[in-house]
Amino acid sequence: MSRGAAALEALRAVARDPRSHIEAWRSAHPEGKVLGVLPMNFPRELAHAAGVMAVIVPDDQQPVTEGRAFLPEFYCGYTRNLADQAATGRFDQYDGLFVADHCIQLLGSADVVRALEPDRRVFLGQLISSLSDSWAGQKTAQMMSLLRTEVESFAGTTIDDDALRASIASFNRDRDLMRQIFDARAGGDVSYSPVDLQDIVASAQIMDPDEHHALLSDVVAERQFLPRDERIRVHLSGHLCHAPRRELLEVIEEVGAVIVDDDLWTGRRYLQAGMDESLAPMDALAKWYAGRNTALPCPTRVQHDVDWDAWLLDAVKRSDAEAVVHLMPKFCEPHMLFYPELRRALDEAGVPQLLIETEHEGIPLESFRTRLEALIERTHRNRPAYA
Amino acid sequence: MTATLNTPTTTTDRTNRLKSTRQGGRMVADYWEDLFTARERGKQIVWYNGGALNPIFQAAGLAWCHGEAFAARLAAQGLEGPAQLAGAEHGYNAELCSYSRTHLGCAVLTVQGDEGINTGVVGAHDQAELAARLPAPDFFVNNYAGCSTGQQWDEISYRVFDKEVPIFNISHPFLWGNKPDAGYLTGEEWESASYYVRDQLLALITWLEERTGNPFDWDMLRESMTYIKRAAELRREGLELCKAKPAPATFWDWISAIAPINFLPGNQELVDYFESVRDEIQDRVDKGISGVENEKYRVYFDGIMNWNKLGFLSRKFAEHGVAVLAGRYITNAFWQEPQLIDTDDPLLGMAQHYLLCPTNHGTKTLDYLTLRDCEEYDVDGIVFHSTRTCRAFTGPQRLLARSAQNNLGIPSIFFEGDVADASFYKEEILESRLAAMLEGIDVKRTQAS
Ligand code: SF4
Ligand code: SF4
Repeated sequence: MSRGAAALEALRAVARDPRSHIEAWRSAHPEGKVLGVLPMNFPRELAHAAGVMAVIVPDDQQPVTEGRAFLPEFYCGYTRNLADQAATGRFDQYDGLFVADHCIQLLGSADVVRALEPDRRVFLGQLISSLSDSWAGQKTAQMMSLLRTEVESFAGTTIDDDALRASIASFNRDRDLMRQIFDARAGGDVSYSPVDLQDIVASAQIMDPDEHHALLSDVVAERQFLPRDERIRVHLSGHLCHAPRRELLEVIEEVGAVIVDDDLWTGRRYLQAGMDESLAPMDALAKWYAGRNTALPCPTRVQHDVDWDAWLLDAVKRSDAEAVVHLMPKFCEPHMLFYPELRRALDEAGVPQLLIETEHEGIPLESFRTRLEALIERTHRNRPAYA
Repeated sequence: MTATLNTPTTTTDRTNRLKSTRQGGRMVADYWEDLFTARERGKQIVWYNGGALNPIFQAAGLAWCHGEAFAARLAAQGLEGPAQLAGAEHGYNAELCSYSRTHLGCAVLTVQGDEGINTGVVGAHDQAELAARLPAPDFFVNNYAGCSTGQQWDEISYRVFDKEVPIFNISHPFLWGNKPDAGYLTGEEWESASYYVRDQLLALITWLEERTGNPFDWDMLRESMTYIKRAAELRREGLELCKAKPAPATFWDWISAIAPINFLPGNQELVDYFESVRDEIQDRVDKGISGVENEKYRVYFDGIMNWNKLGFLSRKFAEHGVAVLAGRYITNAFWQEPQLIDTDDPLLGMAQHYLLCPTNHGTKTLDYLTLRDCEEYDVDGIVFHSTRTCRAFTGPQRLLARSAQNNLGIPSIFFEGDVADASFYKEEILESRLAAMLEGIDVKRTQAS
């Protein structure tokens, strides 16, 4: 196996079995702490600078069993999976849980963790979600500073500004490299499969950024530009907090489409915004938070002059996508609320689209296949006759 | 010993509802009629969601429409269908909060009505009935605490109206209880959140002054909050009286009295109304009259209301001799801590009530409130309305049920329904689970005796 292929294997292993990676880290750092954080906006840089391993808690794709006793079945799959992780002891690998977000379903799952894991610190430091307010900047700065204090207290150490600067640089470098790959894909390179890319980003959400960057650099070093073929170019949109099932990504490409860009959590949404290293580190954190929503708008934020629909149309233009597939996790309320805006904008622009609601357990792949085939056929009709 | 449950064979109405709440119904109907003609009277109109900002709008010279209240009203009258259909055609998923779905459907109809477009889904009559009667907004104000959907919903309304209607957002820190000193109405988290929201109310007032051109009438705010505080005190007194055995009035009576306390103008009529409710309850206590014929069980209700089934549910529980006599949506909501309001300077106390929305507490605090109420009202069980599209209310319910069982030995059941979508209600589930819980309570009583 080549060095690049081995590096990709290593990233894939972390993405698909985070538990083993965390255990290995613990063995290598017997005094170290592992902090679970929930999507979408907690700045892991703070924990990294404190010597803590900060892991964005992934959906571990286990079926929800005992978790059913703690959250209703009409919560999104991700949050029910979190409750299940807590109910079955799978949360034990984290020493604490920090949340900086707003979605009520996330808060519900964090409350289950707090109730079931009373010895672990479960901290909510909610970043302001209404970003058009004149006081949003000040409130963000205040909350970032509170998060810093809490992380320090959790880690039992103080965070040095230089260490924070270094952590910011590390995460930036890793995000930059991933963004280059995503930009290359949007520009016509299909040398990475959507599953490869998902593994790359999902592993970045777990690993130390330097370690991740080193492996990813090995992968990148061996890749050659591979131009797109004639398949229908598709943008994937949605899945705000967890990865869609790999089989679904595969079936999209099997039916004659090629995914050219996305705004998924385990995709561009995670890596689109970097931090400004020329600023004082705490200012950089605050500016990053505000900038994330302009870099890639999120329906859990309220910002009157920032539009996910407009972003999506631009992204479609940039990547020359011909169709959009919305992946909506069942019961994801922010997505359900915003979806008609996306639909309206794409309809007006004449971009064919398909909404697929994803369930946590069981994917009706054959029915998806049929619907995707219909989308591909429809989109083909949009192509000029000479193409 | 075999437990027996008197399964009702008739549908005789065993409720004994308060007479005084009927007057509230008339006041509310007048309010809506007034709102529907507000534009003709030259009023500007604000659509808002969340905590009761109406005293501020009253003092700003505006007519106000509370989105949830309008959705609830449609559902209670069985008129939600056309708005929900319009929402569905616009793309809102049936699993989305049905309050927001109904109200957004109205927004869609209102926009289409303005443009003279016929959707083909909703007939002209329905449009006239619903959207056209609800005057289009001049402003949006969002005041939703706790539930993220509440905040996002108004942002989407703003977009449905093509961003042409100005919007103001008030942010409420979720009262999570991070710190050891955090508790109900206490701790640093509570204090700082209270002042943060108070400051935003001041900013809202300036924003309204700039946009309406009307100077804000502070005297009117103080006056209306004086009436509201008095009405809220009377309401609390009435709620306290319901701890009596048998309970003189029920949760369902208090549900009928929500609209007046939630959005009617603060004035003498409001105070008179709650005085008459309190007096009627006092009179019943004095005479030993109960809200449910032959009260046999006392039950706490957790969950947001099922507006489609209000009358039905009240009869159903009464059929079994169950007095549903308290609940999170009643006991821990709607100006429930009037002592916080300083009528000379009411903004801080108002801000605090907005923060006290029953979806804005972490489970630790909700647990405290639920156990406290269950003990004080001496209940035998809890009924959880597993409100299909309201994740904010339902999220903590399973933890609360577990705690009530572990700490007080109180059993509970869950039944499925929704705030404003009747299709989610499952009659058989409620009937069978209620019967099973009551049977369990009988067994426990027998064993204890
Ligand atoms: S944003 Fe959607 S996917 Fe994420 S936690 Fe909330 S409901 Fe679940
Ligand atoms: S989900 Fe519940 S709390 Fe949230 S906006 Fe809807 S009705 Fe209100």
